[in-house]
Amino acid sequence: MKVRFWGVRGSIPVPGRATNRYGGNTSCVEVRPKGGAPIIIDAGTGIRKLGKSLMEEAFREGKGKASILISHTHWDHVQGLPFFSPLYRAGNQIDIFARQRDTHLAAVFSQQHDSPYFPVPLSAMHADMHFHELIEGARFDIGRAKVTCARLNHPYVAIAYRVEVDRAAMVYCSDTAPFTDMLLGRDFVPTNDFPTLPPATIRELASMRAGVVALARDADLLIYDTQFTPEEYESRPHWGHSRPDDAIEIAREARVKQLCLFHHAPMRSDDENDAILKKYRKEIKNEKFTLVSAYEGLEIALGDEAG
Amino acid sequence: MRIKFWGVRGSIPAPGPETNRYGGNTSCVSVHTASGGLVIIDMGTGLMHLGNSLMAGAFGKGKGRAAVLLSHTHWDHIQGLGFFAPVFIAGNQFTVWGPGGSPEVLEAILEGQMDPNFSPLQTLKNFSARFDVRAIGTGDATVEAEGVAISAWLHPHGATTALAFRIEEAGRSFVYASDVGYPESGPTDDAIAFFRGATVLLHDSTYRPEDQTTRRNRGFSSYEDACAAAVAARAGKLVTFHYDQDYSDDDVDEIVGACKAKLKPHGIDVVPAREGEEIAI
Repeated sequence: MKVRFWGVRGSIPVPGRATNRYGGNTSCVEVRPKGGAPIIIDAGTGIRKLGKSLMEEAFREGKGKASILISHTHWDHVQGLPFFSPLYRAGNQIDIFARQRDTHLAAVFSQQHDSPYFPVPLSAMHADMHFHELIEGARFDIGRAKVTCARLNHPYVAIAYRVEVDRAAMVYCSDTAPFTDMLLGRDFVPTNDFPTLPPATIRELASMRAGVVALARDADLLIYDTQFTPEEYESRPHWGHSRPDDAIEIAREARVKQLCLFHHAPMRSDDENDAILKKYRKEIKNEKFTLVSAYEGLEIALGDEAG
Repeated sequence: MRIKFWGVRGSIPAPGPETNRYGGNTSCVSVHTASGGLVIIDMGTGLMHLGNSLMAGAFGKGKGRAAVLLSHTHWDHIQGLGFFAPVFIAGNQFTVWGPGGSPEVLEAILEGQMDPNFSPLQTLKNFSARFDVRAIGTGDATVEAEGVAISAWLHPHGATTALAFRIEEAGRSFVYASDVGYPESGPTDDAIAFFRGATVLLHDSTYRPEDQTTRRNRGFSSYEDACAAAVAARAGKLVTFHYDQDYSDDDVDEIVGACKAKLKPHGIDVVPAREGEEIAI
């Protein structure tokens, strides 16, 4: 498989000279099984340019097929979808996967297209769209690829995905906080003033963390939310994002081969991202995995495609 | 008045080296009045950067006050709100004026953006600042805010409508007219009447004419519409604005050059809206 990054930013797109090298688009990653249809993870603004590139293929003729795995429906992970050209072409088949919660997925995605916000209703997008609601522990196949998922510790709800195909496995783990305070299931976390956790919650957090480690076990590539530096995390543990230090611990325990820093903070300049990568490359030099930092246009070949 | 551009792009933010010179953030303009007031027009992603800059002054201390004018509530005109730092500081006060017919309807639309499915902020009620939502009627209307008179004009924008604003101070005027969809015949009489004699006319210049032909139903102007409006209304200056997300800086250069050539014989200056730049009236 080949993994290509189209959007690597968290929270909000940030155009400008300071983000030219890493890119200012919000989260979108393309996974391409060898000779297969694209499996897209998240639909931040990066999916707009991916869509343009796909329109060079069968999607232009209305004969394309793609799957979109949504980690969660916060804006920075769905806001590009109305600008995804293949959705406007009749005949294209687009399967959208995301977590089940109290509102039906089609209704959630329709809301982004409501008339006060966007001129084109979801129903007017002519592609053949199917929504698939995922429950805890879901496993399914997309073509030859096997997909599994795990819950993450993020306000409301978010899930991580593992895609296995072509004798390789990649894991996408964004957005999540470390597993020290419970954020999952909460609509709004007002402050970082967390109460002492009851034992049941501590067990639940430990089990969520173990689920993530198991999902990432022996993966060739682990893409992980590392929006915060340790200093920034101190005042924002309730925002639902991790530090590189948290990602490194998970990578070590799961024995992954490569760790990728992802979901960069909006105000993080290219030079700051360089400095973070340099610092943590030093820290992991005795580990068994390598470290990269995601940038728009980065392509990583794995398994049969690695050559 | 000092007018500063924080976001000049239409539809969706367009990051990348190809938009560095004009900027890739969606619509947001600030107007500092001569009498010391602050009027913010539209809340695209440029609003985050305006907010970060305001935090260095009174807004950082919870002593800031501003009026916000919303042309309409499409994403590219409201998506910066959740990232506008001053709304998280108690003591700051915002009065938001926009379409929707009633304050309740407009507030509900803005609330929709904070829905837990989409945002960890959950509701506007979690803002620490005072955030009063008002509505501007569906017809012509005038409001008094931040010590200046502001009139609004509701115009077609594709299948929907949007508001244009005119701010008057000390005999000078600034008109903001983004997302304007004219009939094929071009600017209408009511548009010209609203823009008449503006010292500065900021006008939707989304498309080249040839790109507009295939996208007429989207409700945006071509630069030719913008020029025709400036000439007919005898504006002092035309500011080009709301560039298509697929246009590179070189494409926008072409639009600006074409406007200059068209308006020079009429003695009308053309100032392209560029992120971070400011003009004084």
